[in-house]
Amino acid sequence: MRHERLVLTLLWREPLAGLRSMRRRDLAWIGLGGSALFAYAVADIVVALQAGAATLRHAWPLWTFGLPGALLGLGGLAGNLLARLCLSRAFAPFLKALPLSLVQRRRMAAVAACALGIPIVVLVAATIGFGCFVIAKPLAPVWGLGAAILFGAGFCATAVLHLRSARDPVRIGNSELARDPGGHRPLLGPFDRAAPAWLSSWAWGLPAGRVTLSWRLVGAAMLFGLVAVVAASISLVRHDAVPAAMVALTGGVLVFMLSARFHPLGSPVLRTAPLGFARAWLRLARLPLQLSVAYFLLPAGAALAAEPSAWAMPLASGFWLMVLNGAYAVFAAYFMTAPFVAALSFLGAIAYTSYESLEYGRTVVIGFAALVLFLWYRAQRRYRHG
Amino acid sequence: MDSSVHPAEILAVRGLSAGYGGRAVVSGIDLSLNRGDILGLLGANGSGKSTLLKAITGQIPPLSGSVNVNGADLASAAERAKFGFGLAIDPSDLPVALTGRQYLQLVGSIRGCAEDDWPGVNVAERLGLKPWIDRAIAHYSLGTRAKIAIAAALLGAPPLLILDESLNGLDPLAAFEVKRIILALASSGRHAVIISTHVVESVPGLCNRAVLLADGRIARDWQPWHLAEAGQMPGAFEAEVMRALTVQATDG
Repeated sequence: MRHERLVLTLLWREPLAGLRSMRRRDLAWIGLGGSALFAYAVADIVVALQAGAATLRHAWPLWTFGLPGALLGLGGLAGNLLARLCLSRAFAPFLKALPLSLVQRRRMAAVAACALGIPIVVLVAATIGFGCFVIAKPLAPVWGLGAAILFGAGFCATAVLHLRSARDPVRIGNSELARDPGGHRPLLGPFDRAAPAWLSSWAWGLPAGRVTLSWRLVGAAMLFGLVAVVAASISLVRHDAVPAAMVALTGGVLVFMLSARFHPLGSPVLRTAPLGFARAWLRLARLPLQLSVAYFLLPAGAALAAEPSAWAMPLASGFWLMVLNGAYAVFAAYFMTAPFVAALSFLGAIAYTSYESLEYGRTVVIGFAALVLFLWYRAQRRYRHG
Repeated sequence: MDSSVHPAEILAVRGLSAGYGGRAVVSGIDLSLNRGDILGLLGANGSGKSTLLKAITGQIPPLSGSVNVNGADLASAAERAKFGFGLAIDPSDLPVALTGRQYLQLVGSIRGCAEDDWPGVNVAERLGLKPWIDRAIAHYSLGTRAKIAIAAALLGAPPLLILDESLNGLDPLAAFEVKRIILALASSGRHAVIISTHVVESVPGLCNRAVLLADGRIARDWQPWHLAEAGQMPGAFEAEVMRALTVQATDG
C-alpha cells in the first residue's frame, strides 16, 4: 500500500511545522534551558540512585513485583495513548473524502504506532539498563532487555486492542451529533448562566448544554463516591481525621483535574470579545471548583465529626485544595488544548517539588510558585496576542 | 481617550505592521474609518487581508504601529477597544456544541446585552435563523454558521462591524438581507463596516470605500466619489481591480 506511512508522515510534520513557526530565540531558550535541566535531572537521579544503591539492589519486592508491574502499566498507557493519537490522524476530517477503507486506516495507524513505539521501548530498555548499571545490579543488560519485553508487551497489548476495536470516529461523531435530545431543558442551565453564559457547557462539549450519561461518567461517580464513603467510615470508626481529610483533599483535586477544561481560551470567540483573561479563566474554573468543593465536603465533614479536636486538619485540607486547584487551573490554561499533558506536567511538577523539598527544604515551593506565575503570564500573553 | 482621534473616526490604524513569528505579513498600514463608511477590503490570496483583520481585532500583536477603535487604544485598553467592534467569527471557530441561541446568549452576556439586542432589526428573523436557533451549531451548514456568526457580531450594536469573507457562504436571500442591514447601519451614521471579500463586483454597490492589499501593503485606495463613479459603468471597477492585481502579480 502506497500510503501506509501517511499517518507517520502527518505526525512527523506536526512538530516540524511547530519548530519552524517558532522564533530562533525561543528555540535556543528551549534547547539550552531544556538540555541544562535534563542534564541536572539525570545527574540528580544518578546521585540519588548511588546513595540508595545497596538498599535498592536487595529490595526484592521492587524487582519481583514493583518494577515489572510499573513497566507493564506504563507500556499499556503509552500504547493506549499512541494508538489513540495515530487513529485520530488516520480518521482526520481532511482524510474523510479519501478512498481509504477502515482496514487501511487501521493499518496506517498501526504502522505509525509501531514506528513511534520502537524508539520508546529502546529508550526504556536503555534507561533501566543504565539504572541497574549505576546501582551495580548484576546482569544490567539483561534487566534492560527484560524491561523492554515487559514494556513492549504492555504497549502492544493495549495498542492492538485499541487499533482493532477502532470504528470510524468521523461517522460515530456525526451520528452522535445527529442525536438531538431536544425536549428537556439543559441540566446545567442554572449553574452555567453567569456571564459569559454557557462557557462550561462549551468547554465540556456538552451537546446543547445537556449532560448525557455514559458508563464512564457513572463509573467515575460511583468510584469517587465509594472512596469518599469508605474513607469517611474509617475515620468515624477509628475517630481519626486523617483518612477522610486525605481523601477529601486528593479526591477534590482529582475531581477538579478531571473536570477542568480551558480550550475556549484559545478561541477567537473569547479573544476578540471585550473579556479579560482573568475573568474568562475564573469563569472556566468556576464549575469544576464547585464540583471539587462539593466532593470535598462529605469526607471533610466526616473528618471533623470523627475527631473534632483536630479541626485544623480539614481546614488545612480545604486551604491546600484551593491552592492546588488554582495551580492546576494555571497549568490547564497554559496547556489548554491538551488536558492530559496539563495533568501530567502538574503531577510531575508536584512530585519533583516534593522530592527536592526533602533535600532543600520548603524553599523549593517558591520555585513551584514561580513556575505557576510564569505559566500564568504565558497563558495570559497568548490569550491577548495569540 | 486619544485626543487626536476625531469623534467621527471609529477606526484609526497608524503605521501598522503585523505578522507571525516576528515576520511581517502586512506593513506600513495607515487606515482611517469614519461613521457611515463601508470599506471593501480586497486582495489576492495571501495578500494579508486576514492578517490585517486579526491585528485590528487583537488576535495577533502588532510588530509596530497602533490600532485605535472608537477612541480606545487596542494595546493599552484592549477590553474597551473590543467593545467597539463586532467580528463575525470564522464558521470553523464557532462553539459547535452550543445551540445558536446559547451562542448568542454567550456573546450577549459578554457584551452586556440581551441575546436579541440587534440594531433596529431582528437579525435572526431576517436571516432565516429561526428554525435553527435551538439546534446545536454542529448541525448547521456553512451558510447557517456564517449567519449565526454575523448575528452574534451585530449583538449590542457595536460601532464597527467586521466581516472577514463572511458573505461567501450565504444563500442569495441571506446575502441580500445582510447587505441591506449593512447599508442601514452605515446610513444611520453611527456605525462603520469592514468587509473583506473576493466578490469584487459587489463592492461598488455596497461599499463607499475600498482598499486593495498586495504583498502586505495598501496598493490602491478608492474614495467614495471614485467608487460611485466606477459603480455607474458596469464592470469598470472590476476591470480596474483586475488590472491592479495583474500589475502586482507581474511586478511580484
